[in-house]
Amino acid sequence: MTPSTRRSCLSWAALSALGLFAPAARAFGESSAFNPRLLSAGSRRAAGVRDSAAGRWSWELLRRTSAPSRLLPSRVSADRAELWAEPFAIWSGDSDVGSLAGSELRGLDRFFRLGGLLLVDDSAPENPVFGGSARRELAKIFPELPPVRLSPTHVVFKSYYLLDRVVGRVPGKSVDAIVRGKMAQVLFLDVDLLGALAREGDSWALDVGSGGSEQREYAVRLAVNIAMYVLCSDYKDDQVHAEWLMRRRGNSRR
Amino acid sequence: MQFRLALAEDLTVLSLALTLVIVSAWLGFALYELFNRRVRSLSLWLSVVLATVGILAVLLRPVRVQSRSRFVGARVAVLLDRSRRLLLPDEGSTREDRLRQIVKQLSQRFQGARLSFWGFAEGELTPFSPDSPKSPQKDESDLQDALRQLSRAAGERPQSVIVVSDGRFVRPSNEASDEELQRLLGSLKAPLHAVAVSQRAPRDAAVRAVHNAGAAVAHQPLALNLEVSCSGGLECGELPVVVRELRQGEQSAELAAGKVDLRDKESARLELQITLERAGTRLVEVAITPPEGDEVPDNDRRILTFNVARERVRLLHVAGRPTYDVRSLRTWLKANESVDLVAFFILRTRQSTPMTLRESDELALIPFPVHDLFTEHLPSFDAVVLQDIDAVTYELAQYLPAVERYVQRGGGIIMVGGPSSFAGGGYAGSSLERVMPAGMGDPNRPYDLAEFFPRYTDAGRAAPVLGSLRDLISEDLPKMVGSNLLGPPRDGAIVLWEHPARRVGEAAMPVLSLSDAGDGRSVALSVDGTHQLAFSEFAERTAGRAYGALWDGLLGWLMRDPRYEAARVELTRPCIAGEPAELRLTPLPGASGPVELEIEALGRSSNKIVRRAALPPSGPVLLEPGSLEPGGYSAKVRVGQAPATRFDFACERGGVAFSDSRPDTQRLQRLARLGGGQYVDRERVSQLPVPAPTEVATERESAPLLPQWLWALLAALGLGWHWIERRRAGLA
Repeated sequence: MTPSTRRSCLSWAALSALGLFAPAARAFGESSAFNPRLLSAGSRRAAGVRDSAAGRWSWELLRRTSAPSRLLPSRVSADRAELWAEPFAIWSGDSDVGSLAGSELRGLDRFFRLGGLLLVDDSAPENPVFGGSARRELAKIFPELPPVRLSPTHVVFKSYYLLDRVVGRVPGKSVDAIVRGKMAQVLFLDVDLLGALAREGDSWALDVGSGGSEQREYAVRLAVNIAMYVLCSDYKDDQVHAEWLMRRRGNSRR
Repeated sequence: MQFRLALAEDLTVLSLALTLVIVSAWLGFALYELFNRRVRSLSLWLSVVLATVGILAVLLRPVRVQSRSRFVGARVAVLLDRSRRLLLPDEGSTREDRLRQIVKQLSQRFQGARLSFWGFAEGELTPFSPDSPKSPQKDESDLQDALRQLSRAAGERPQSVIVVSDGRFVRPSNEASDEELQRLLGSLKAPLHAVAVSQRAPRDAAVRAVHNAGAAVAHQPLALNLEVSCSGGLECGELPVVVRELRQGEQSAELAAGKVDLRDKESARLELQITLERAGTRLVEVAITPPEGDEVPDNDRRILTFNVARERVRLLHVAGRPTYDVRSLRTWLKANESVDLVAFFILRTRQSTPMTLRESDELALIPFPVHDLFTEHLPSFDAVVLQDIDAVTYELAQYLPAVERYVQRGGGIIMVGGPSSFAGGGYAGSSLERVMPAGMGDPNRPYDLAEFFPRYTDAGRAAPVLGSLRDLISEDLPKMVGSNLLGPPRDGAIVLWEHPARRVGEAAMPVLSLSDAGDGRSVALSVDGTHQLAFSEFAERTAGRAYGALWDGLLGWLMRDPRYEAARVELTRPCIAGEPAELRLTPLPGASGPVELEIEALGRSSNKIVRRAALPPSGPVLLEPGSLEPGGYSAKVRVGQAPATRFDFACERGGVAFSDSRPDTQRLQRLARLGGGQYVDRERVSQLPVPAPTEVATERESAPLLPQWLWALLAALGLGWHWIERRRAGLA
């Protein structure tokens, strides 16, 4: 059974079932559940089909893992205190964000100082204006910390799935990050991850190009891994996992 | 009445010397001149003599002294050994009884002398009253220090010093050279005699010494070097030795055992390795099984107190699902250099669909090693955090009895709230519930959905465990979304936070509670929202530091960090079985309320000794639990509403003092020989020499031999005659 076949077997009935027990979990444990919030910052407020991707992200996380997740993620503004309520946000766009306001920079700065993690997802990697402008604005908060390329052995590539590629709606090569201490605080993706997860009605909103369903599956896996990295930080780097994972990676290469 | 001549009493040595120099110079010059000029005039020679005598008499002013005196007995200092070794048996009696008989004999023998009795042990010399029934208190005796104190004491020096002991004092040791001993004894400026209270070693098998190489560190093997002895002609053969840890609420746990071969030997050594798993004060018993005929049973076992350190807190963090609450705790634990973290998170449920072809190649998941963790490895952890994990689903339930034993034996446990914690996780009615601070609740209604703000209790306000958190955010706490529904607090548990609306019986439902359980400690936190102290709008006020303050306190209290105890408790002196024990409680500043002391013997359940006292406005409180039997004890002292402070201590009847029961008469003989005195046993006290009495002047009167003017006239006549004679002899 291929992943795509299994995926086709999955019905929205399952989603409904999850929705049924969601109220209890939402009441107790909700404040702890993963919540892929979309960030509004800068002069261009992106909105549209990718707004549905956050819900799908949560749904996939619930389906595939034990992590509780909020199915109706919210949108937060960089200059509002709600940003500090939770440690994760996604900033996506397809054009230059312009210059962030002082209040937005201060809001983001506090978010990072508390230990928050921001995912910067370029929706138009073919013309990476958004990614470049986001790096430019975030450099005002991290002037001493330029983005670095994450090595293929970074924990984000093994936090749940063993990943050897970075793909979203389009394939990519790597993940850049701003790392403070041992933790990545900003992840830069140039693969339009939200584009690969976006839904329109009962179908995917955007094509993933030549990679087809396998590419989309790997995009979902990357999203799951990022969620697990947010929730468990470097758990999979613990010594107790290291030997086991090395052996498993060896097997998969063979 | 006695008479004698003396010089004027106001003359100093300097003035006397000056006089002699001047007069000698004058006389020398005069004689030189007379000889040089070959003067043969007798009258000139006589004038020189008369003038010299006259000048000397004027300057020295001789007096006549009339005095009366009498003889008093010599001062004799008797140093009596006051170590608890004197309580050892001695041929149907004790050495202490022998010592008191010797005191009587000395009093008779030295009737004419002035006897002063001094007790020596550790520290200052203390006057000894033969009539006082007070028995020896100190473990060891130090004769060297006692002799130094005696030689430096002000007042009249003794003319004779008598040491009464069994000779087994710590100093001077047998290794001291003759020169060293002579230097020490020479400072007395009096002969030193020695009287042995005992000469025969009792038939005794004993734990003579226990040494450990290095400091005791939790989870690390520690070598115990034991010396076991067999003396007094007792046949010991091979003696079994066992080392046990004394624990509360259960039988002592055997740590090591062995046999020591004492055939044809008086003592032998044995090395045993032990591993103490829990940090803090731990009591370890070393015991031998003595053969028939052992006359001193009190030294067949020693109870040693180990202050077990830990390099880092080894902590097991098990979470049933990854959440922001798990994230915050893990982040804090990983950042804490004092914590050695082992974490296992359930990342996938049985219902999860990871959408993989070959899971083993595509997933980075490993099986949850629940069996290994909660059997083989459990004792190696200092504390366990169970966070929102379903005990039934993840097969933890069958190991909960082991977790209960782990806590009883000194482990720490924290259960953190979540839908799968407490009753929601199948813990209700489990053996783990017996060691938790609060009941696990009702499985049919495991949690509540209502939002609320946890409320501090009086105990929460008084507890140092929350002191840092209150310093940061006062009593404000973030809003919690739901809570596990817990039962009432267990006896002795302390509730720090309570639910503002939910009640259990008459009281508010506990939200954060803690308790002692056997040798261990437990914490129950019924909410999953403390991560808001680390990351939230609320947390932004303190830059997230409040989270660290809370968990630092909880983990610190669990690990018995003195910073989070409400008071410091200690013994004022070593606890001796059968003697009144005394504990000193020093409360933290600001502590208030009555003091309650509860003492329980370690081991299976026993009767508790309870004492209550009022807390003074300042300073420590002394608590007297009375006389205790030999064994290990756990004292729990509670000040007001604050959590109890625990202090474990040992009470021995023999202890160090009884470890070597053989008298050392050879050392006494050597001291007497080098000190210029005599060595005698208790049968021959009457042979000790009595020093001669001392003469003491009782009346004294001095008067000038002649009036001062008469001496001056004599000198003037002498000098005048000499001047005339010189002129007649043709001298200038």
